[in-house]
Amino acid sequence: MSYRKKYLKIAVLSVLVSLLAGAVVILILGKNPLSAYYNLLQGCGLAPKAKYAGGKSMFTDLSSYIDYLTPMLFAALSYAVAMRAGLFNIGISGQMLVAGFISSVTIGYSTLSAPVAKPLVLLIGIVSGMAVGALIGFFKYRFNINEVVSSIMLNYIAEYVISFFIHVKYVDPVSRQSRNISDAARLTLHQIVIGGYKYDIPIGFILAVLAVFVLKFVFDRTVLGYELRAVGLNPTAARYAGIHVGRNLVLSMTISGALAGLAGVTYYLGYFASIQPRVLVSTGYDAIAVGLLGNNDPVGILAASFLIEIIGKGSTYMSSQAGLQSEIASVITGLILLASACNAFFMNRLDRRQAAKEELHRKKEEGGIQKGERV
Amino acid sequence: MADDQYIVEMNHITKRFPGIVANDDVTVKIRKGEIYALLGENGAGKSTLMSMLFGMYEPDEGQIIVRGKEEKITSPSYAAGLNIGMVHQHFKLVSNYTIAENIILGNEPVRKAFGLFPYVDIKSANDNIRKLSEQYGLEVNPTDVIEDVNVSTRQRVEILKMLYRQAEILIFDEPTAVLTPQEIDSLLKIIKNLRDGGKTIILITHKLEEIKRVADRCAILRRGKLIGVYDVPSMDTKEMANLMVGREVELTLQRKPAHFGDVVLDVENLHVENADHFEVVKGVSFQIHAGEIFAIAGVSGNGQTEIADAIAGLLRTTQGSIRILGREISSFTIRERTKTGISYIPEDRQSVGLILDFNLAEDLALRNYYESPFAKKSVLQKKTFEDYGNRLIGKYDIRSASGNDTIVRSMSGGNQQKAIVGREIEQDAPLTIFVQPTRGLDIGAIENIHRQILEERDKGKAVLLISLELDEVMQLADTIGVIYNGELRKTAPAADFTTSEVGEYMMGVKRS
Amino acid sequence: MNTINSIIIDGMSFALPLFIMAIGGIYSERSGITNLALEGLQGMGAFTGALAAYTLARSIGPNSQAPYYVAILCAMLGGAVYSMLHALLCIRFKANQVISGVVVNILAMALTTFLTKTINRNVFGAASDKFDLGVSGRLTIPVLCRIPVLGAFFTKVYPFEFIIVIIAVIAWYFLYRTPFGLRLRACGDNPHAVDAAGGNVAGTRFIAVVVSGALSGLAGICFAYSISAKFSGDIYMGYGYLAIAGYIFGNWNLLPSLGACLIFGMARSAGYQIVQLLGMPSAYSDLVMILPYVLTLFLLIFLSRNTHAPRALGEVYDKSKR
Repeated sequence: MSYRKKYLKIAVLSVLVSLLAGAVVILILGKNPLSAYYNLLQGCGLAPKAKYAGGKSMFTDLSSYIDYLTPMLFAALSYAVAMRAGLFNIGISGQMLVAGFISSVTIGYSTLSAPVAKPLVLLIGIVSGMAVGALIGFFKYRFNINEVVSSIMLNYIAEYVISFFIHVKYVDPVSRQSRNISDAARLTLHQIVIGGYKYDIPIGFILAVLAVFVLKFVFDRTVLGYELRAVGLNPTAARYAGIHVGRNLVLSMTISGALAGLAGVTYYLGYFASIQPRVLVSTGYDAIAVGLLGNNDPVGILAASFLIEIIGKGSTYMSSQAGLQSEIASVITGLILLASACNAFFMNRLDRRQAAKEELHRKKEEGGIQKGERV
Repeated sequence: MADDQYIVEMNHITKRFPGIVANDDVTVKIRKGEIYALLGENGAGKSTLMSMLFGMYEPDEGQIIVRGKEEKITSPSYAAGLNIGMVHQHFKLVSNYTIAENIILGNEPVRKAFGLFPYVDIKSANDNIRKLSEQYGLEVNPTDVIEDVNVSTRQRVEILKMLYRQAEILIFDEPTAVLTPQEIDSLLKIIKNLRDGGKTIILITHKLEEIKRVADRCAILRRGKLIGVYDVPSMDTKEMANLMVGREVELTLQRKPAHFGDVVLDVENLHVENADHFEVVKGVSFQIHAGEIFAIAGVSGNGQTEIADAIAGLLRTTQGSIRILGREISSFTIRERTKTGISYIPEDRQSVGLILDFNLAEDLALRNYYESPFAKKSVLQKKTFEDYGNRLIGKYDIRSASGNDTIVRSMSGGNQQKAIVGREIEQDAPLTIFVQPTRGLDIGAIENIHRQILEERDKGKAVLLISLELDEVMQLADTIGVIYNGELRKTAPAADFTTSEVGEYMMGVKRS
Repeated sequence: MNTINSIIIDGMSFALPLFIMAIGGIYSERSGITNLALEGLQGMGAFTGALAAYTLARSIGPNSQAPYYVAILCAMLGGAVYSMLHALLCIRFKANQVISGVVVNILAMALTTFLTKTINRNVFGAASDKFDLGVSGRLTIPVLCRIPVLGAFFTKVYPFEFIIVIIAVIAWYFLYRTPFGLRLRACGDNPHAVDAAGGNVAGTRFIAVVVSGALSGLAGICFAYSISAKFSGDIYMGYGYLAIAGYIFGNWNLLPSLGACLIFGMARSAGYQIVQLLGMPSAYSDLVMILPYVLTLFLLIFLSRNTHAPRALGEVYDKSKR
C-alpha cells in the first residue's frame, strides 16, 4: 500500500468515526442523525431543500457555500505553509481580522470604483496579513518565542485593539458591528440575479483554487519547497546542509500570514461586509482541522475543506430544521481534529502490521529466519 | 533442568522486532562469581539478550532461570529485586540531578517530617553513597551535578547505582567505549575486584583485547545466533575475531606511505564557545596538508566535536582564524564554506547528517539540491535526483528496501552512514572532516569506511579525523593531536606516539 | 493609597488562579509532556464546576455556601478527567504534543459551548448560553488587614485564594521533596534513567498531566467566580497561555513563576485603575485588556533567550529506542 493510499484510508476512517460519534450525540438528544446530516447537505446546496423562498434555488445555496468555503481554503493553506516549516500558526484568525480591518478602513470605506478597489483590497489584505505573520516568524527566529504563544497573544491584542477602534470610530449604531463596506470593494458579488435566481459569486474562490495548485507545485517541485520541508523535519540537519533556517522560518510565516490575510479579506470583505468587534472567527481554528485531515497537502486540503465546511455551513440550516444547537458542528469538527491528531499513530500501526506480514511471508519463503541489522 | 552451579540460565531465547530477529534460540548459562563475556559485532544481539535479563524487554520464546528458579522478568525493578544490575552503553543519568539523586532515583530513602510527611532524605543518601564509594574504591562526590562531571565519573555513578541496589549480577554493556587506556585499566581492575568480592559479572563487548584480559568464559554471538561458548584462556584473539565475524578478518590495515602536499587547512588560535557561552575550545592551532590524515584524539567532551563544528560553520568562533587553501573562511556562511571546499561527516548521523523522513534520493542531494543540474531556475529536476541517487547507491553499496524512494529512517545505521559518506566524498572537496565515522557499525562496515578514508588521503585530500576510538586513531592517522580540556596538548607524527602515551595526554596527566 | 489597595486586591485575585494553572503546567512539562492545553482544561473545569454549582443552587437555594465549594471540587475533577484526553493522546497515541494541546483546546471550546446551550435548553428549559454564578463573596482578615500596604493582601480576599495558596504549598512539597517529585522531574530530563531505575515513565507522566488538569480546572472556576461571574464561552480569554508564559519566565520552577504571575495580575489591575482614575469612556477598557498580552510578549522577548526547557520536553518516549 502506498503512503497516499494508507493515509486516505485512515483519514476516511477518522471522519467516519467522528460522524458516528456525532450521530450518537444526536441520538441521545432524541433527534434523527441521518436527517440531521442530510440537512447539512441541504444547507450547502448539495441536496435539494423541500422548498425555496422567492429568487432562491439549490444553486443559490451552493454559491453561498462556495463563498463560505473560500476563506477556509486560504486559511487552511496558510496553516499548511507554516506547518511545512514545522511552525504551528494558530494565529490565523487574528491575522484574518487584522487584514480585514485594515482593508475595510482603507478601501472598504473609500469611494474607489470596483476595478481599482477590489485588487487593492486583495493587496492590502495580503500585505497586512504578511506583516503579522512575519512578526511571529521573527519572534520565533530571533527570540525563540514559541509561535503558539506569540500568535495567541497577537490574536488577543488584535481583537481588543480593533474592537476599540470599531467602537470609537467605525461602529454602526444599529448592528453594533463595523459599518458595511462599499459594494465596489466587496470581493463577493453579493445576491446578483442571473436568470431569475440570486447568487453570491466569490471572486476569491478562483484565486483560492489557483493558490492550491501553486502551493502544490512549490511544495513538491521547487527549491523553496525542499528547504521548507527540510527545516520542518529537522532544523539541525537543514542548517548543516547550508540552509538558512531562520530565513525559512520567517519566510514560511510570511507566506502563511499572506494567505491568512487573503482569508481575512474574502471573509470580512466577501462573505460578510462588516466586522463584529471582540470576536475572533472560528475559521482559523477549523483550518487546523482541515490541514490535519488533508495531511498538509494542498490537494488534500482542497478535499478536506469541502468536507469540513459542509459541516460548518450546513449547521445553521440543520439547527433550524432539526432543532439542534448549531454548535454540534464545531463538536464534530473537534472530533475529526482529535481523530486526525492520532493519524500518525495509526499510520505507524498499519506500517508495523504490514512489516509483520512481510516478515511472515519471507520466513515461509526462505524456510528460515534472516536477520537484518537494527538501527 | 535447573542446575546449581549456574546463577543465571537463559534457555532457547528468541526475540523478534519488526522485521528483525534479534535473538534466535540463544542459550547462555552463567556461573556464580565468574566474568562472563558476550562477544559479537554491533547488531549481533548481545545488548538485546541482556536487556531481557534486565527486564527492558520480554523474550518471545524461551525461559530465564535465576538462582534455579524460573522467572518472568517484566521490568527493571523486577530485575533489581533479583539483584541484577546493568550499566548501559548510553548512560541513563539525569543531567540536572546530583550524583546522589541519580543513584537513589527509584529507591529513595524516605523520612517523615513531623512523623507525617514523607520526604526524600538526601542527607543520609549523601553519607551512604560516600561510604559506598570508599568501600569499592569508586571515587565520586555525591553532591556534584551530573552535567558537570566527566565521562568516567558518570560511569562510576552507574556502577554505584547497581551496588546501591545490592546487585549481585552486574551487566556491563560496552563499558570501555568512551574511556582512555588508563581509565580502561582501572575499570577492568574494578571489575576484577567486584568478581573477587563475589559478584557475578556479564561483560558485553566487541573488544577482544579486554575479554582476553579479564573474562573467564565467553559466548560469541553472530547475527542473533549463538556461535559457541569458549574458555577464554584456551583461545587467541584471532580465533575469536574470526568466529565473531564469520570469516577471516584482517586485524591490521594495509596503508601506503603518505605523501604530503600543500597546506589545505590552517587553523590558528581557534576559540569556540558552546550554546551556553562556555568556552570549550581554547586557542587551538594546527595544519593539515594534502594527503594527510590528521586525527584529534581525546576523551568525549573535551572540545573536539566543537572544533569540527566551528570549521564547518555550525558553531561560531569567538577568536582565531580558519584558512582553507589560504582563504580565510571564519566569516563565511555554512554553504560558502562547503563551496570553498569542506565535506563534513558529522558525529550524529541521524539528527545532523540526515533528514530521516526524506527519501534516499533527497538525502543524497542534500548538499547540491539547489544548484544546477539538480535545480533549474529554482525548479527541482526529479530526473537528476534519481540518476544521481542511483549512481551513489551503486558506487557506495547503499542497501535499502526500495532504492531512491526508501525513507531513510527505515534504513540500517550502517547504510545511513554509507549514504552520508558517499554524499560527502562525492563533493570532491579538498578537506574532508570525519567525526566518529564508525560509531555503532559492524566490522564489515568499519573496514569499508576505513578504506575510504585512506583512499581519500591517497587521492591527495586533507582528512581531519575526530574519533574517540583510540585504536582507530592509531590505525589511520599520519599526525595526531591530543586534545584535553579544549587545548591541543601534543601534536606530533603518529609514529612518535605509543598508545599509552596518547592516553596520558588525553587525561591531561602529561603535557608537552 | 486606596488605588494601591485596589490594585493589590484585584491583582491577587487574578494572579493566584494564573499561578495555580502555571503550577499545573510545570507538573506536566517537568514530566516531559508539552502542555498547551491549559486553556481548554481551565474552560472545561469551569464548565463542570459551574454546571454543578448552578444545578445545586437551583435545588437548595442561592444563599448557601455549599455550591461554591462543590463547584471548586467538581471543577478540579472535570479538568482532571478531561486532561486524560491530552495524556492519552500524548502518551498512548504518541501524537505530536503541540497539536494535541491545541486540539484539546478547540474541542473544549466546542464541547462546553454546545453543552451549555443544550443543557440550558433541554434540562433547565431556558434559551441561554451561560450559567450565571454571581461573584464569590469576599473575606477580610480582621487584624492583619490593618497593616499598612501589606494589609491589602488580607483585605477582600476571595475564599478560593486561600485554597490556591494551600494547594500551591502542597504542590511545591510534592514536586521538590517527595520520591514522586524526584521521579517526575527526572522523567522530563531523561526518561530512560527513570525506566532503568524501575520507575514508571508513562504512569508518572499521566499523573502529571492529570494534576495539570485538576489545577487548571480550579483556575477556571476561580475566573468564573470572579472576573466572569458566570460560565460562558467568554471563559476562553487566553489566560491559559498567560500561565504558560508565566512558567516559561519562571524557568519551569514554582517560585519564580509566582513572580511572573504577580506581574501579570498587578499590570492588569493597575490598567483598570488608570482607566477609572482618568475617567475614560468604557471603550478604552478594550485597550487596557491588552496589557497582560503585550506584557507577555515583551517579557518573552527579553527573557526567553535564557530559559532552559526540560531536556526531554515534547519528545515521545519509546522504551525500545536507546
